[in-house]
Order: sequence, then C-alpha cells, then structure tokens
Amino acid sequence: VTDLSLLPLFASLALPGSAAPPPDTVQMLARIEILSRELEELKAQVAAQQAANTPPPPPPPPLPISAQAPPARPLNLWGYGEAYLTMPTRVDGLAQADLARAVFGIGYQFSDATRFNSEFEVEHAVSSSSDPGEFEVEQFYVDQNLGGAVSAQIGLFLIPTGLLNEHHEPTNFYGVQRNFVETLIIPSTWREGGVSVEGDHSGVSWAAGLTTGLDLSRWSFHAPPPRTALELEDQDNAPMQATHQELALAAVHGPSGFLSARFHGIPGLTVGASLFAGDAVPPSPSPAAHVTLWEGHCRYEPGRWDLSALYARGTFTGTAPANLAEPGAPNPLPAAFFGWYLQGAFRALQRGDFRLVPFVRYEVYDMGARYEGLSGSPPPSSYVPRDHVFTFGANVYVNPGVVLKWDVQAFQWNQDFTRVDLSLGLSF
Amino acid sequence: VRFNPVHIVLLAPAGLLGPTLYATDYLTPAEAQRILFPEATDFASRPLVLDPEQTTQLREQVHLDPSRVQLVLATRQGEPVGYVLVDQVVGKTLLITYAVGFSTDKTIRGIEILSYRETHGGEVREKAWRRQFVGKTAASPLRLGDDIRNISGATLSCAHLTEGVRRLAALVAVGLP
Repeated sequence: VTDLSLLPLFASLALPGSAAPPPDTVQMLARIEILSRELEELKAQVAAQQAANTPPPPPPPPLPISAQAPPARPLNLWGYGEAYLTMPTRVDGLAQADLARAVFGIGYQFSDATRFNSEFEVEHAVSSSSDPGEFEVEQFYVDQNLGGAVSAQIGLFLIPTGLLNEHHEPTNFYGVQRNFVETLIIPSTWREGGVSVEGDHSGVSWAAGLTTGLDLSRWSFHAPPPRTALELEDQDNAPMQATHQELALAAVHGPSGFLSARFHGIPGLTVGASLFAGDAVPPSPSPAAHVTLWEGHCRYEPGRWDLSALYARGTFTGTAPANLAEPGAPNPLPAAFFGWYLQGAFRALQRGDFRLVPFVRYEVYDMGARYEGLSGSPPPSSYVPRDHVFTFGANVYVNPGVVLKWDVQAFQWNQDFTRVDLSLGLSF
Repeated sequence: VRFNPVHIVLLAPAGLLGPTLYATDYLTPAEAQRILFPEATDFASRPLVLDPEQTTQLREQVHLDPSRVQLVLATRQGEPVGYVLVDQVVGKTLLITYAVGFSTDKTIRGIEILSYRETHGGEVREKAWRRQFVGKTAASPLRLGDDIRNISGATLSCAHLTEGVRRLAALVAVGLP
C-alpha cells in the first residue's frame, strides 16, 4: 500500500520538466490520482475498523513456572539467644542475671543437594580465661540430599533425641530454662561428630548414625554441690552432660551410634523414641565402659492446647571399679539415671502475632538411680542428685521470634533451689 | 583404640557422599497440576491481571506481592475446573516452593510441595498435614494452631506455609472471577 501511494510522484518524475504531457498521459495521471485518493480513504476506513474491533494488546506472557528457582543467596544467617534473671526465694544473695547464650548460625547452599550448616555459641556473655563464658561450635556439618526425603550428614551435628535437643531455641520451649529432664538426663544441646542418614516416609521420620561417644574419665568425683538450680544446670553435675565430648579433641574409644523414629502422620500429634548406645572411654581404673540412653516422647497440640510428655533413662557400665577407687567421694559415678515430665500449655490470648501462653510442668529426675561399687560414706550435704520439680509460668510472645518468659519453680528435695525467673528469648 | 574391619564397613556410607546426586525437588509444576486436578484435560498459564486497587488491597491486607505468583487455569474440554497457583515461602532460611489448587468456587482443592530445601522440617510434605487445608477458603482462619495443626519440630515450615496459603486464598478471592 505504501508503495502504491508513491505512484503519482514516480509518474511526475518520469515527465520532462517544461514539456506539456500528451492527452493519454494526462488521463492516466488523473486516473492514478483518483485511485490514490480512493486508496487513502480505504486505508482510513480499515484503520478505523481495526481500532473498533481489535482487543487491547495482550499483556506480556507470564514468567515460566519453575520449581528449580534457587534461593536468592546461597549464604544464610540466623540466630537465637536468651538472657535470664533468676531469683532463689529461700536463700538470700544468690540471685543472678545472665546472658545465657547468644548463638549465630551460618549456612551455605553449595547446590540444591549439598548444604553446610553451622552454629556458634557464646555462653555467659564473656569468654576468657578469667570469665565464666565459653565459646562453642554447636553444629558444623554438611547435609547431602540422597534423593527424595533421604539425606546424609557428616560433621558435628545434634543427636535426634527428645523434644528439645534439635529444637532448643527459646521460642520453642516453655519456661525460662529448659526442663531438667532434657538438661540433666538428656544433655541438651547434645551433639556428636560422625555420619548419619535420615529420612521421612509415610508420616514417619527416622534417623540412624555412627558417632563419637562419651568419656567417663571426665567425671568429677569431687564436684562441689550446686547451690542453685542455675548452677545445677550449668556445672556439669549430670552424668551425660559431664562426659560428652562435643568433638573437642574427642577420644574415640569405639563406635557409638543412634537410632530414632518419630511418627507425625496425624496433624498435631508427634510420638517418637530414640536409642543411643556405644563404648565410652572408661573411668580409671575400669577396663571398659558402655553407655546407653533411650527415651520416648509424645506431643499433642489440639487447638489452643500444647501437651507433652517424655521419659528418658540412661545407664553406664564399668562404674564399680571407679567408685571403689574413690571411697566416700561426694559425687560418685552413677550406673543408672532417669527422668520424666508432663507438661501442659494453653494459648490463653492471641492478638495477631501476640500470644500469651501459660503453662504448668511436673518433672522427676534422678541422676543417681543406681550406683555400683560404693564404699565409705560421702560427706553430709543438703544437695541430692534427684528431685520432683513443679513449674508454672507463662510465655508471652511479642511476635513469633521474640518471647518474654516468667516462671516459678518449686523443688521437693532441694528446696533451696525454689526460684522465680524472668527471661528474654529471641530467634530469627 | 583399634578399629576392626566392621567399624570401617559401618563408616563406609560416608564415602558415598559425592557431588550433587539429586535435587530437593519432589514434583514438577506439571505433575502438581495433574495431582490437584486429575479430571482436567488442559492446563494453561494465565496472566494474573489485577487493577491497582486490588494489588494495593492484597499488599496491605495480606502482605502479598501478586506479581510473583504464577497462575495456571485448569480446564476440562474447554470448561474451567479450577486454578493452580504456584508461590514460594521461606521455611526457616530457605525457600519452599508449593502449589495450591482452587476449585472454581474458590475453595482449596489441595496443596502440593514442589521443592523443600531446608535440612529439617520437611514433614510438611506429609499428606495428612496438607489435607487440613482442603475445602477452606479466604473466609477460613487459615492460622496455625487454630484450624491448622502443627507438626512438632517443623513449626516454622508449618507456620510459613499456612501464611502463604492464606495469602493465596485472599488473592483468589480478590483477583479471580
């Protein structure tokens, strides 16, 4: 069409400048002129029609759907921490405030299937030779997906036991401090070095691993008795808490391993169990030692309720020769220890992210359920390595990542441990 | 300690950890579409056309950026039977890619997890947990601890996926015919 519109111009250019055109040429030019006008009219009509009938231009096509999108950044940071104020109510002068832990995690995604996770922890705010704090590597492992829901870990990782050990952030548990059973019997946060495989199928998640084990030669037969519940949790008086090695120049005396399984096929219900067993570095002068810890747990979260129960029991072999070698020691090495608790929490108030969750917990622990090879009499002490503890309090979630806590704890045997606690916890 | 050969055999699985073996993708979008709408004969990507007011409403009410959501129309012999929306949420630190099927009456038909990248919390792939969403709409609470129950140990993934589904339900209520 555009080319035809130029015909009159071409025709005029073809004519000599001053010469008069012959009559047939004049007719032809006139006809071309008419055709040209008709053509312009037709073009205008077509354009008008198109404007009336044509739908608006289609929007750009949607982005291709892809499940392969990698995370925007392969490096991830996270963290959690908690600060306490703990006030014994029966003994003056033992109240303490503590930035109990500040933990920061670094993860790196090498590929869709290979990931590195680590957590670094500062306990008690300041770590130096003259301060009470510690700097610890809490996790340091590579996770390799083996296809589907099966993966393997190698490095320093958490043992999948109980309700708290793998989920120990302050936003995940009720009360200022972790419960005693999952501190003194299960030594949360318990990690070992090794290799493990885990998977999740048909509502059951499972894990199995080969790891480093415990060193019973680290047991302190003359450890001073704790004066407060805070000291009880911090001083390594507990059987496994005092003897796990955390991959710090860990002595490898033989293989240790674990199995765990957890059913979560009914929404809101979790039922699980785990077993850890292995050779341990024996306490002098024992020739050999073996460690076993097993536990079963259950958590049910119907509606506003959060109900949980846990039982754990551990045994050490090879303790008799060591105890015989320390007659009358105030802190003999136990051959068996156990604990259990029942806990109920109720979401009493929720406004957006704000939640008020009061709770109660009753727990029993005995770090010396059985001894072998005791001789002599230990020095008199008001402290005993067992108790029945009743706790009530509330978690106040400012948002899912920030929690203020308050609780009161009463002890049946070590009554001087009775206390009121406050804390700030956070996790991101 | 002296290790005997049995110990070495037990440790052998560590040697299997080579370079990338498999991805963490469980379903392709096409597979998820067929699971959510097995009766459909055709699936076609559709642009999500929202007016500025709808976009603002979604951003302010449910904090959803509609531009990142991908929409597929499921039809059976030319008749619409529902929509599939694909989106992503953060689990703890990594993205979970998921698809939600909505019937034409805007009720949730089902949820499928396409990709899960975290090392923990993958229990949200459990069918019984995902089934809790079926039949719910934007008018449902769609809140963890209310009408959606938690999986202990996978709380962050459960919470964030529930929030994501709530956002998509709002998008369907506001933006689809």
